Parts: sequence; C-alpha cells; structure tokens
Amino acid sequence: MVNELTGWSEMKSLKLSRFLVAGLFFLLIVLLFTAHLIAEWFSIISVGKGLINTERLDIVVTVMIYICDVFAITAVLKLNKLLSNIAKNEVFIDENTRCLRIISWCIVFAGITFSVFSLWRYEFLFAAFFALFLGLVMRVLKNVFEKAVELKSENDFTI
Amino acid sequence: MAIIVNLDVMMAKRKISSNELAEKVGITAANLSILKTGKAKAVRFSTLDKICEVLECQPGDILEHI
Repeated sequence: MVNELTGWSEMKSLKLSRFLVAGLFFLLIVLLFTAHLIAEWFSIISVGKGLINTERLDIVVTVMIYICDVFAITAVLKLNKLLSNIAKNEVFIDENTRCLRIISWCIVFAGITFSVFSLWRYEFLFAAFFALFLGLVMRVLKNVFEKAVELKSENDFTI
Repeated sequence: MAIIVNLDVMMAKRKISSNELAEKVGITAANLSILKTGKAKAVRFSTLDKICEVLECQPGDILEHI
C-alpha cells in the first residue's frame, strides 16, 4: 500500500529496514576487529569511577565489547530473519515469535553484562538500564505476537 | 477436544463426494478436509447451516459430544 502523502510504500519501508539491519551487521563486524582500539580510547578519556579500580581498563572494556557484540550480532541476525519472513508475507508464525524471544533475551543478557562491568565504571549502569528496559519491551512485544499467532491459527481453522 | 465431527458418515449416507459437498456449501475442499479430519477449531453457523441444508440433516447428526 502506498502512502498518498509521502509516496512511501510498504515494500520500500521493508527494504529500508533490511538495508539498515545490513548496515548495523556490518558495523558490528567492524566492531569485532576494532574493539581493542575503542577500549583503549575509552580508557584514556574515561574519568569515571567504579567499585574495582584497575590500571588496565582497556582489557575490561574489550572483554565487555566482545561479549555484547556476540549478543548484538545474534539479535541482528534474528532481526534479518524476521524481516525476510515479513517480506514473504509470513508474519504471524511461531518462528517470528521465537526470533523476538531470542532478541529479547540477547538484549537482557547484554544488560546483565553491562551491569557486571559497571563494577569497573558506574556509567555502564545507564547502558544496563536502557538495555534491560528495551529487553522488557521486546519481551512484552513477543507476548503480544505469541497471542496474535494463536488468534490467527484459530481464525485459519474456523470453517 | 470432546466434540467429534461425523461428516464423513453423513456424506456416505447421502452418497455425496467431498468435492461436490464443498462446492455446494461454498467452501474450499481444503477447508472441508480440515472439518472432516477434526482439525477445525470452530465452525461458523452459516457453514453449518449450509452443510445441514445440502445433506438434509440436523447439526446433531454431524457433531457429537463425547
């Protein structure tokens, strides 16, 4: 369906989403190879405090980036799967609910990782809060989707 | 589920094929198959009405609670 005001169609919107997901995937792969550089830069500019004080903050941040990157790559791959299913007009299916559940858990685990690493720098608590909040939103979305799949199945089997 | 569909019994009594019944009722053969195999989760009154009309029977002849 084409929006009369913007001329923007559903397919274009889907293509844009897939393009952005592909871009994000590329950035996350780049992050895998540049994690140590970002960690070094962070340890130089960071002036915050934490419960644990260490001279080698760059190692701690590198480990944190690697762990979170794995969760982020998994979530992005599932996002891509979700978008490809939507493009095939397979929206309310069990596989999509499973994708949303995995994405939600990935975000929650990233939040827990940030919480653990906030022992070295308290500022990571902000990232942990936002990640846990987003994980909760995704979980509720997954619950809604699960119910929608059930309703669709009921509708499909009503003769 | 405690409801069983005895549509095939009634169809045999009336000597009507699945395709013919589906056509007369106005549903697809695939949907009729879902109904016959007991996979259906609900039946519309309008569909039941049509089936009873075509098979000249009562809803109780098609549906049974066990």
